[in-house]
Amino acid sequence: MADKAVLVEERQARQSRFVAGLLRGGAGGLIFGLPMMMTMELWALGFTIHSARLLLSALLAIPLLFVLAQHMGFERTFTWHEAMRDAIIAYAIGIMTSALILFMLGILKSGMSADEWVGKIAIQAIPASIGALLGRSQLGAERKGDDKEDGDEDGGDGDADDQLSTSYSRELFMMAIGALFLSLNVAPTEEIILISYKMTHWHSLATILVSIALMHGFVYALAFRGGHELSENTPRWHALVRFTLPGYVVALGVSLYTLWVFGRLDDTAWTQILMTTTVLAFPGSIGAAAARLIL
Amino acid sequence: MGKTSGRQTETNEPHWIEWVTGVLSSLLVGAMIGWIAWQALTAVAQPPQLSVTVTQVEKAGDFFRVELDIANVANTSAASVTVMGEISGGDMPAETAEVTFDYVPAQSKSRGGLLFRSNPAGRELKVQPAGYTEP
Repeated sequence: MADKAVLVEERQARQSRFVAGLLRGGAGGLIFGLPMMMTMELWALGFTIHSARLLLSALLAIPLLFVLAQHMGFERTFTWHEAMRDAIIAYAIGIMTSALILFMLGILKSGMSADEWVGKIAIQAIPASIGALLGRSQLGAERKGDDKEDGDEDGGDGDADDQLSTSYSRELFMMAIGALFLSLNVAPTEEIILISYKMTHWHSLATILVSIALMHGFVYALAFRGGHELSENTPRWHALVRFTLPGYVVALGVSLYTLWVFGRLDDTAWTQILMTTTVLAFPGSIGAAAARLIL
Repeated sequence: MGKTSGRQTETNEPHWIEWVTGVLSSLLVGAMIGWIAWQALTAVAQPPQLSVTVTQVEKAGDFFRVELDIANVANTSAASVTVMGEISGGDMPAETAEVTFDYVPAQSKSRGGLLFRSNPAGRELKVQPAGYTEP
């Protein structure tokens, strides 16, 4: 009898932990998603976006959430199907949160077509679901052991892990998430293209150099908690070439992709596309650097 | 990851993939800076130079829609570009329509349309940019 009671208690504890995880996910979705839910341009994008681009983004969100779930899941995630489950749950939370908030704010109305409803929710669900996954791990008390994290990731090829420093792919992936988060916040706004039209080439050059310098400084120079150091006999430019510049390229790529999805680059000349991308890569690179410190 | 100590040290002997990625990234960033710098040094700022072309005329509900492309060949972007269209000739009175483009970026195109009540077919259709502001 006593055994049974313990079992029931254990199950209840697990259930309440799971529910708490879901609620934390919702909270994370709000923290990450609200700025975008309250951006006018994104409501309009719900029906003006090319449907193929929206579909591509909605599909890309799944592998993105999956990899993110492998690093920080709702429950301790060890196997790929648990990570997949966490990713899908996070996506569902993202969709639910977006739908509820958009409805509450009167952006979704009963007179609108189904297309418009789905489009508006689908766009918002992507940042909200990233928030839901991160919310679980960053707001939660029970963070996974850090050595466990490294364990999962090298699961496939066990002998590669002592050669790749601070797991390089994870570092680049986290930078992409950070860049995506800050880029998504500002990419749909008209200000980004307006700024790039106001800028001369010299302004653009200055922005690129400042972005790279800030990225490098955030992680290596200012002694933030979670920052990185170089061992004494490693030359300083090593970290610049191995981490900061690839990180900046990741931020550029993320910026280019988000601008393209939001249709900000259509019928635009290459130099202009480049300049708009560097404008967006400025917040993106700061997001990337911050992700290396926080995540 | 040595998160417990708060800061982590990058390894001294990185994997070759890190160097390949690093070098490729440096080349890419270098090329981008080079391109923009070259533009900055060589390009002389020209005021926006706008031209309008009619791409299609078709009936749309109660109106006739004249679809147009507006191109800006200069290296400065234009904002609030107004385009005026006029149908004249024939026996009917002339009719005008107007549209404002938010932006026509440098060396790029924007698309839009004018709506007329009367059919432009067989009559003279004039479309021209009428003004812009600097963004």
